Amino acid sequence: MQIEFLFSYMPIFTSFIVLFAIYLIAALSLNMEYGYGGIPNFGHVFFISVGAYMAGVLTARTVDYLAGIKAGYCSGQASVLRTEYLSSHPLEAVAIFVASLILGAIVGGLFGYASSYPALRLKEDFLAITLIFIGDMGRIIARNEEGIVCALTGLTGIANPLSFIKDVGTRSIAYALIVVAFAVLTYVYVQRLAKSPFGRLLKAVRDDDLAAMALGKVVPRVRGEIMIIGSALAAIAGVLRTFYIQGVVADDFQPLITFLVLTMVILGGMANNKGVILGTLIMTALDQFISPSFFSLLGISVEFDVTYMKYIIIGLIIILVLMFRPQGAIPEGPVETPALELSRSSEWDVEEGLEIESEGGSES
Amino acid sequence: MDLSIPLMNSLTLGSLYTLMALGLTMSFSVTKIANFAHAELVTVGGYVTALLVNWMGFGLGESLIAAFIASALLAVAMDEGVFKPMIKRGSKPLFLLVASIGIGLVVRYLLFVYADLNAVITVQAKTSVELIGRFGRAGITTIHLWVFPITIASVVLLHLMFHYTKPGKALRAMADNEDLARVSGVKIYTLRRLMWFIAGGITGVAGGLWAAYSVITPEIGWYALLRIFAASILGGLVSFWGTIAGGLIVGFAENFGITFMNTYFNVSTAYRPLISFVIIVIVLLIKPTGFAGFDIVEWVKEKIKGGGE
Repeated sequence: MQIEFLFSYMPIFTSFIVLFAIYLIAALSLNMEYGYGGIPNFGHVFFISVGAYMAGVLTARTVDYLAGIKAGYCSGQASVLRTEYLSSHPLEAVAIFVASLILGAIVGGLFGYASSYPALRLKEDFLAITLIFIGDMGRIIARNEEGIVCALTGLTGIANPLSFIKDVGTRSIAYALIVVAFAVLTYVYVQRLAKSPFGRLLKAVRDDDLAAMALGKVVPRVRGEIMIIGSALAAIAGVLRTFYIQGVVADDFQPLITFLVLTMVILGGMANNKGVILGTLIMTALDQFISPSFFSLLGISVEFDVTYMKYIIIGLIIILVLMFRPQGAIPEGPVETPALELSRSSEWDVEEGLEIESEGGSES
Repeated sequence: MDLSIPLMNSLTLGSLYTLMALGLTMSFSVTKIANFAHAELVTVGGYVTALLVNWMGFGLGESLIAAFIASALLAVAMDEGVFKPMIKRGSKPLFLLVASIGIGLVVRYLLFVYADLNAVITVQAKTSVELIGRFGRAGITTIHLWVFPITIASVVLLHLMFHYTKPGKALRAMADNEDLARVSGVKIYTLRRLMWFIAGGITGVAGGLWAAYSVITPEIGWYALLRIFAASILGGLVSFWGTIAGGLIVGFAENFGITFMNTYFNVSTAYRPLISFVIIVIVLLIKPTGFAGFDIVEWVKEKIKGGGE
C-alpha cells in the first residue's frame, strides 16, 4: 500500500529532481559570473536558450538528414518520425545527445565571449540593463523565425536520448541520473574553480578591478574567461532541458527565468556554491509546487492563474533578502587558500589572522 | 510609400515615450537607481485610467488625474518602502536595481491577479474617439488632442519647475552632488519624495494616455520599458532635453525603421523592439553619456569658428 502510494508520486519526484539539477547548473553558472566575477549577467536566460535551441536544431536537422524525413521541418509528421527514428537507433540518439552538449557549450561560450565585449566597457548597472534586454531580444528573434525553433509553435520530436528504453518510468529515472551526474560534475568543477588561484583572482577583480590591474592582472581577460565558462555551463543546462521536455519553445525563455535563477543565487548566498544549492532547492520547490497541476492535485481551486502567485513570491523574496540579508542564507566564506585548510587540519592558529584579512576583502 | 501613418504613430508614441522616460530620467539622476519597476508605474496608470473610464464612467481628464495620483503614490511607496531603507543600509547600486526588479514582479503579478479575477487582462479605455482631421492617410483623433498638449505642457512645466522654483533648483543640485546639496541645507528626503511623486505621476499619465490610445495588458509596462530606457539612455539618463530628444528619436526610429525594413527587406514588424535595443547598445558602447552635456548652440558656434583643434 505504502509502496504503491510512493510509486504513484514517482513521476513528480523524478521531474522535481531533473528540474532541480538543471536549475542548479544554471544557478551555479550565474553564481560564477555574478557572485564570484561581479558581472551582472542578467541575460542569463539567453545563454540557457542558446543551448536549448542548439540541441533542438542539431537534433532535428541531423535526424531529418539521417532518416531522410521529407515532411516539413516544423510539421507534426516530422516530429513523430524523428521520435520513431531516435527510439529505434540508440547509438545515433546518444551520439546526437553528446554532440549537442559539446556544440551547445561551444556556441554558448562564443556568445558569452561576444557579450563580454560590452561587459568590459560598461558600468555595472548599464551592463545589467543591456544584458536584461539581450535576454529578451534572443527570444523575440527565435519566436519569429521559422528556421530556428519553428517560431511560436516550437520545435518538437527531440526525443530523449534514452528513448530506446521502452519503460517510461525506468527511462525517466535513468535520464534523471544523467542530469544529476551533470549537476554534480558542475558543482565539483565550480567549487574547484572557486578555490583555485583563478577563483581568488575573480574575487579580486570583483572587489577592486583597479587594484587587480595594478598588480599586473589582465582584468578584461579574466572577465572574458568567466563569461565564456558561465555561458557554456548555462548552455549545457539548456541542452539538458530540451532533451528532458523533448522539444523547445522560444516563449519558455522569458526574462522571468533569469530572475528565478537570480533569486536562487541571491537567496542562497552569492559567491557561495553551497548556498546556491540551498537557494536552488527552495526556488525549484516553489517553481514546481505553485503550479496549476499541483494545486489541482491537492484539490485547491483558485479563481486566477496560480503561476502569478509564484512570481509575486519571487519578487517578495528578492526584496526581502536584499533588504534584510543581502549576503544570503549562507554568507560568502573566507577565501579558501591552502594555508586556511592547513590551519583547520593542524594546530597552527592562523585562523584569526586570516579572518581579519578576509573580512577586509569581502566588505568592500 | 505613404509616410503619413508612420509619422503620426511616431509622434504619438514618441510623445508617450518621452513622458515615461522623463520620469525615469528624473528618478535616475536624483537617486542613481536604474529603476526597473518604472514599467509598473506605466501599467498602473493605464489600468487606473481604463477602469475608471469603463466602470465608473469618468471622463478621460479626471481619470488621468487619478492615474497621476495612483502612480505617484506607488512611486513614493516604492522609495519609502524599499529603496530608502536599502540606501540607508548602504546597499550597492546594483542591489537597488535587482530590488527594483523584485518590486516590478510583485506589482505586475498582483495586477495580473486582479485583472484575471475581473476579466480585464486586455483592456482599453472606452473614450469617444472622434476623427477631427486628416493628415495624409492618417487620421487625427481626439486622442491626439490629449497626447500632444499634455506632453508639451508637462515638458514646459517641468522646465519651469527645474529652472525657476526653489525645489526644482534644489533637485538639480541633488542630482549633481547629493552630499553638497545636503550640507547646503537642502532637505533631501522631502525633495526625494517630491521627485518620486512627480516622476511617478507623469509616467502614470503617459500610461493612462496609452490605455486610451490602444489596448493594454499588465505587461504593457515591461513592453514599454525597453523604449523608455532607450530614450532615457539617449539622454545619458540624466539630461532633460536629451531625454525629450531621445523619446522622439525612439518613436521615429521604431516606426519609420520598421516600416522601411518591412517594405524593402520584408522584415517582420515583430522585430520592432530590436531597433530600440540596437539604440541602447550603440549609445552605451559609443557615447555612454548620450546627449547629456551636448549644447547645440555651442556645437554650432564651434562649427562656424572652424574648429579650434
